[in-house]
Amino acid sequence: MRIESKSWNDPVLVATVAPLAVVMVAFFLVPLLMTAVLTFQTTQYYRLVWTWDLKIWTEVFSKPHYWTIMLRTVTMALICVVLTVLIAFPVAYALATRLKTFKTQIQILIIFAFLTDAVLKTFGWILILDKNGVANWLLMHLGFPPEMLNLLFTPTGTMIGMVYNLVAYPIFTIYLSLVRIDRDLVLAAYDAGASRFRTFFEVTLPLSRPGLYSGAVLVFVLSLGAFLEPKVLGGGTSPLASELIRQSFETRVNWPLGAALTMVLITTGALMLAACAAFALRRTATTRRPA
Amino acid sequence: MASPIIDASGIVKDYGAARALHGVSLQIGTGEFVALVGPSGCGKTTLLKILAGFEEPTDGRLEIQGKDMRGVPAASRPTRMVFQKLALFPHKTVAENIGFSLKLQKVSKTETDSRIRTMLDLMHLKPDYLERYPAQLSGGEQQRVALARALVSQPSVLLLDEPMSALDAKLKKSLQAELKKLHRELGTSFVLVTHDLEEAMMLADRICVMRSGHVVQVGTPADIYYRPANMFVAGFIGETNFLPVTATAATDGGMAVTSPLVVSGKTTIASEHVSPSLSAKGTALLVRPETIRFVKGDAAPGEWLLDGHVEEYFIKGASTQYRIRVQGLDAAVIMDLPGSIVLPAAVGEAVRIGFDPVQAFLLSE
Repeated sequence: MRIESKSWNDPVLVATVAPLAVVMVAFFLVPLLMTAVLTFQTTQYYRLVWTWDLKIWTEVFSKPHYWTIMLRTVTMALICVVLTVLIAFPVAYALATRLKTFKTQIQILIIFAFLTDAVLKTFGWILILDKNGVANWLLMHLGFPPEMLNLLFTPTGTMIGMVYNLVAYPIFTIYLSLVRIDRDLVLAAYDAGASRFRTFFEVTLPLSRPGLYSGAVLVFVLSLGAFLEPKVLGGGTSPLASELIRQSFETRVNWPLGAALTMVLITTGALMLAACAAFALRRTATTRRPA
Repeated sequence: MASPIIDASGIVKDYGAARALHGVSLQIGTGEFVALVGPSGCGKTTLLKILAGFEEPTDGRLEIQGKDMRGVPAASRPTRMVFQKLALFPHKTVAENIGFSLKLQKVSKTETDSRIRTMLDLMHLKPDYLERYPAQLSGGEQQRVALARALVSQPSVLLLDEPMSALDAKLKKSLQAELKKLHRELGTSFVLVTHDLEEAMMLADRICVMRSGHVVQVGTPADIYYRPANMFVAGFIGETNFLPVTATAATDGGMAVTSPLVVSGKTTIASEHVSPSLSAKGTALLVRPETIRFVKGDAAPGEWLLDGHVEEYFIKGASTQYRIRVQGLDAAVIMDLPGSIVLPAAVGEAVRIGFDPVQAFLLSE
């Protein structure tokens, strides 16, 4: 359908778009605006006072504590992206090109693991990562010194949980990219004299970029908002942004501060995504599959 | 053949329990243009993939330039392939696509550039296409890029897997002419897989007709057309007629044939009009549509006559095709007459048709 320049004059078009527009405005734009408005208020004796000043923003920008947490959140998210993609790519590659016989069974297992409640899975990791847990027990019996790993309630524990909970996203996006690659392109590279190794870097990897990018974006956005893992596996020793926001709203009952930190988190995420999108688009703008 | 560049003998290929090739033997000479022809599923593409090194034969021996190709990967063979769907790298520019094999061979930048230029000239591609991506080219241009990519590394054998099947008729014709010219200029051996026997006849020096994993006939286009091994080969060329006959050996090496449908009786077919692989099963006379005429007066001496009625006619411009229903024949008799403004017969009209059996070709199923 061609979008006319005066499409708002078309009653059918307006009628079909209206419900979605209403939902988007009511449940996305309005809450966002309310959050933004909230940042310009203050609290007194745990009560919201409508003042319209920049007190909260002054606090946010003057206390390095908040920025340390923001920076840690972004760093953790980036590390999580790198780790999940590094794990997901070989898995997706094996699913797409090898493992012909058990492909469906493995996919079903991954989906089951993915759909199991994240709270349940995250608490499950305590059993493994605990000082007296499965991981240390196994290492001890393999001849390593007892209680070698001390991962529970550390940032590493948080990271393990985040990677585990998010790795299914890039597995599936990369898998979908890989299965779309025409097998003849790989043969054409062999035919031109390329080794398997060279073919992977010249053909397979560049053509799986859409899946890599979309998987990375999903993991990045979701790990920016990671809440459960730092709480359960990180033990609150090094909180991330979402925990800080929760504390501001619930413990300190300082809604304007929570709102301001939310805005900072959303803006940071959006800016980083925009930068990545610009980079990705520049590299793939003219690359389209032949008809 | 003095020194064949490709010598395949007894090639067998199994896919699980299914046998795709049943001991195929084929020799291809240096600089020769050979077409592998057959209906889909006949094994022609499998044979091509074995030549390219994408598939390993289950049994049999393949030599290219006198070297055994067992275990030699595609990357190390002196062959290059043009794929059916072209398989141009969508993320590489035209220049990168064509120069890919040179980059792998670490050919110098200046040498690469000059060879890409040579290819562009050879393929009549404009130099400003070099920085474009395949998706920005038309179907015919993509075809030329695919050919350039394969030829730039100066292969001894160029393998073509139905590369023109996706093009429209007009573009196909002009590319076919270019391909033939290219073959003559380069002197490279070409192996073309196609399901279109007309295309094979136009382009190839020799044609290998295949059917369900067997080679049915190998020969020049003239052999295939005028001396088909059997009804399968003859029917594959295009619409034609088979008149069932009874054949017995005649004294002078020819065959005496009779048909219950023809009263005028017995005719002797000279030995050069008899298929060398004639068997007793389903012997028939191959009567080409253009050799049949309407008989409106006396029959010519020795002419065989059939009575029927016009089922349908098609005006094709240069010719008019009639389909005549004859009592006792399963298929309608097809005849091609020179086109004329006055039609010789109307639909439903009772007609008598005739042909000279001495000019026909005797073959079997």
